Amino acid sequence: MKALILFLALCGWTQESPSPLEKYRALQHPATPENFDQGWEERVALEFEIVNGADLRSLRAALRDKDAFVRAMGARALGILADKTSADVLAGLAKADPEVAVRIRAVESLAFLKMNPEAVEAAKKDSNLAVRWTAERVAGQFQKETDFALQAREAYAAGIPRESMGAAKVGRPAPDFTARRTDGTTFKLSEVLGKKPVAIYFAAYDG
Amino acid sequence: MHEQAQLRLRKEEIEKLGAEAFVVVAMDLHRTTVFKEKNILLKSFKNPFSADDSLVSATALSDPAGTASAIYGVSRKCMRWGSWVENHPTWFVIDRAGTLTYAAQPLFNTPTSYIGDIDRLFEELRKASK
Repeated sequence: MKALILFLALCGWTQESPSPLEKYRALQHPATPENFDQGWEERVALEFEIVNGADLRSLRAALRDKDAFVRAMGARALGILADKTSADVLAGLAKADPEVAVRIRAVESLAFLKMNPEAVEAAKKDSNLAVRWTAERVAGQFQKETDFALQAREAYAAGIPRESMGAAKVGRPAPDFTARRTDGTTFKLSEVLGKKPVAIYFAAYDG
Repeated sequence: MHEQAQLRLRKEEIEKLGAEAFVVVAMDLHRTTVFKEKNILLKSFKNPFSADDSLVSATALSDPAGTASAIYGVSRKCMRWGSWVENHPTWFVIDRAGTLTYAAQPLFNTPTSYIGDIDRLFEELRKASK
């Protein structure tokens, strides 16, 4: 018995814990439509871990993964992390990946990188409306000097404690948050709380 | 966008209540700005808002990592409606004391359901302004 316990303990000590990407691949509730209201906390937490972990080698490999959601996550993270060496692969995904989520994320990331604008232009004629929609909206980024990827990295770097997720409850004090106004200035909800009634709409996406 | 278009029609009511409206987009600043300033969606087909250049009167806020959305429990980061969806669209009202008094998720189940959504929002805002 002692030998068995020792063996198991040694196995535990020698096994590496799975990477955030591996945990994302093994999600109990992957980002499929039927999981819309389930497991979102885990998806959010892992996205933060993946972006903040900045494991570029694994992320580049993820672009060739069999799992579409892993490819999509790899594409997103590499754009936010400004990995210019991935631009051509991302352009290929934007053009020809069979999955909509991957094409959307690849188009977004090319705009973050401000590289391969022709792939984003081509995506405006994609067979899928959501991909065309994304390409139409991100295209203007190529003409802007602002580093939108850096802003995103900073937002991820601030992190989010797990216990903060879903903290907003009717009947309780509204939790504070920070965001950015369109003029670039920082907004803190606490600056207006207690001064006036407030309506907030969280949009599904930019439409 | 219909929700924002309907809210914009009632901008003066918001001001009379001494309230302020915000719309959080869990995307980068560029896309949030496009959302605020350009009416790309409703210009693409015939509807009461197709001639408007912009539909958003609320203060638009960029939440690129989805942090605020997660705090408010609406982050989804999931496929739905044939697209990638960052948030479960949701209205919240906070009263003068800073208490969250209302949360509602639009159903988009009829062509004019957004009108009822905004009516209910104003009922709650009126209560919150007292």
